[in-house]
Amino acid sequence: MNRGLPIPSALEQKRYRPTGSARRSERVVVALLMACALGTIALSVLIVLMLLRESWSFFSSPNVSLTQFLFGTRWTALEVRDLEKVEFGIWPLLSGTLRVTGIAMLIAWPMGLITAIYLSEFASNRVRKILKPSLEILAGIPTVVFGYFAVLLISPGLQWISPSFDTFNATSAGIAVGILCLPLVCSLAEDALSAVPTSLREAVYSLGGTRMNTALNVVLPSALSGVISAMLLAFSRALGETMVVALAAGTLATFTLDPRQQSQTMTGFIVEMLKSDLEYGTVQYYSLFGVALALFVITFVMTLLGQLIRRRYREVYQ
Amino acid sequence: MTELPKALQEFKPNEASERTELQRRRDRWFRALCLAVGCSSIAILFLLLVSIAYQGSSSLNGTFLSASHDPENPARAGMYPSIVGSVILCTLCAIISLPIGVAAAVYLEEFQPKNRWLLRLHGLVQLNIANLAGVPSVVYGLLGLTLFVYMFQLFGKLEQNQVSGIDFWGVQRYYQFVTADDLAVIFVPMDESRESTLKIESVRPAFDTNFRPIELQVWDPATPQPTDPEVLGRTVRKGDVGALVEIYSWYYFRLPFGPSLLAAALTLSLVILPIIVIASQEALRAVPSSMREASAGMGATRWQTTQQVTLPAALPGVLTGAILAMGRAIGEAAPIFVVLGGNIAKRTGPEHLMDSCVTMPILIFAWADNPVEQYRQLAAAAIIVLVALLLVMNSMAIYLRGRS
Repeated sequence: MNRGLPIPSALEQKRYRPTGSARRSERVVVALLMACALGTIALSVLIVLMLLRESWSFFSSPNVSLTQFLFGTRWTALEVRDLEKVEFGIWPLLSGTLRVTGIAMLIAWPMGLITAIYLSEFASNRVRKILKPSLEILAGIPTVVFGYFAVLLISPGLQWISPSFDTFNATSAGIAVGILCLPLVCSLAEDALSAVPTSLREAVYSLGGTRMNTALNVVLPSALSGVISAMLLAFSRALGETMVVALAAGTLATFTLDPRQQSQTMTGFIVEMLKSDLEYGTVQYYSLFGVALALFVITFVMTLLGQLIRRRYREVYQ
Repeated sequence: MTELPKALQEFKPNEASERTELQRRRDRWFRALCLAVGCSSIAILFLLLVSIAYQGSSSLNGTFLSASHDPENPARAGMYPSIVGSVILCTLCAIISLPIGVAAAVYLEEFQPKNRWLLRLHGLVQLNIANLAGVPSVVYGLLGLTLFVYMFQLFGKLEQNQVSGIDFWGVQRYYQFVTADDLAVIFVPMDESRESTLKIESVRPAFDTNFRPIELQVWDPATPQPTDPEVLGRTVRKGDVGALVEIYSWYYFRLPFGPSLLAAALTLSLVILPIIVIASQEALRAVPSSMREASAGMGATRWQTTQQVTLPAALPGVLTGAILAMGRAIGEAAPIFVVLGGNIAKRTGPEHLMDSCVTMPILIFAWADNPVEQYRQLAAAAIIVLVALLLVMNSMAIYLRGRS
């Protein structure tokens, strides 16, 4: 190391010099860190392999056909014990999931977005300092709490409004899931909105624009990719939500558009099947892996889309 | 007061300014709408908490915190095993997933490769982590079920009250017999046969209830009974059938894991792994690069920089993320339900790694699902305990972040 210049006394300390042993141990450490990072890829591969392998036990059964699974409108895996007569058509479960998710998004998207606009454009610093952490704390409330909320408050409330609602119905589960997704939409959208630089807002004011003009005509379009990605992430979160629908949406797989009826969702079916006394190894049991595969594919596409939109269309400001 | 310029004195509100007036009014309405919606969305969430607190506070008392679930009498039911279970489970989760998650984040942030292909792999890992965070937790549960609980049935199936799977360490098996005077129980260690019962025919090594070795006597009921009470206390009837008793140490380990604490902890670690990675990455990104450059200027290698400069600087952020992830783990119900099942009858916390375990969310789920009204009130009380614990954890995280 001593080539010409003397080492300054501050660098005399040996640990600040890349010695041979430090370089060697560095290589080991980097390999370990890389193994951890690649482990996450292995995790995805494992999930996909597990779903494919286990659902193969379902799809390869002579009583199950892929056409029936994809287009059938009756799902009787839990009700009918005779394997010859069981029907596996995903649509009742899928429509149940979409009903609950649709109602949830009707609540979470507008309320979350408007709350985000308020927080990022109108709220004073003091208000924001209180509201943002409390939203984050509320985002950490376990989902099973919302399930309890749906069964004991929303559902009786709905029945009080109109007796035509079932005790377990898609609406109460949907409202609970919507409230659950609200903080998620709000905090992701707020992040996107406040990432828009202040200079753009100032430019609008200098042109005589009001705050509403600023928020709706400039800030929102500039942050659109982030906002849409927030909405898609909330959508996929609602699709995969389990405990609320297991408690509040009912156990009957119905193929209808009526939000007042029971509606078993895909996740609800998985829970119900695990609760039942059907043995690990029967075709009915393996059907839950077929459902899980469908659920995984849908949420995966949603999340991927959200990520890609956020990356591809993100407007980068200096 | 200075006089206004002439041009402005002649200024009359024209069409344009009327439009501005309209715009202003609209602006005010929009603002009011935003305020109303923003406040009501937070109000709804608080209403939820308050209503649950109102319903549950009456059942929240000392017995509730110290008793276990009682299927007959809701007044005597409690949540002690679930509190212990949740805390142990959450700790195990942190031990498993924190090192891996932080290491992955460090690799992604601090060791970005220069090679084009490796860089692409890097982007793939990044995208993959974002996707993993979006996978429904019930799917993780199914992964845990096949990977940890059944292990693809590679090691056979776990059976109740039978020796099954492969044991490694931490278990002792005995057959249990009642002595001839019906006053005590003795234990005969299991031999190689691994049968689930033993019919006793001859003298074997045996232990008393305190696991001290005793000299076993086998008495044929056809012959007269020994009279000495001391001898009777270590005598069993010939032909008696002893049932299997298993005694576990806390480090008991077997394959497959079965519906056990370890399987649940591993599954839950997978659920929170992407959350920890993303939070740690954000914390590392927030460390100014000038600090890294200064360290490199001092001649430190990249790992030395990471270890001695970047990680300590990012520690509050990493801890914040870790606490939030722990909060998620403690409140997560679906994967645990899939792995452990909905059984809440256990009276104690988990006692060894392969023991079953009750957690708070599972208990709340089971109680809220119970048609009996009192159990639903208990669910509200259990929610108060769970949410209080979470509030403490999350406030700690937000406080830590405020300090960094």
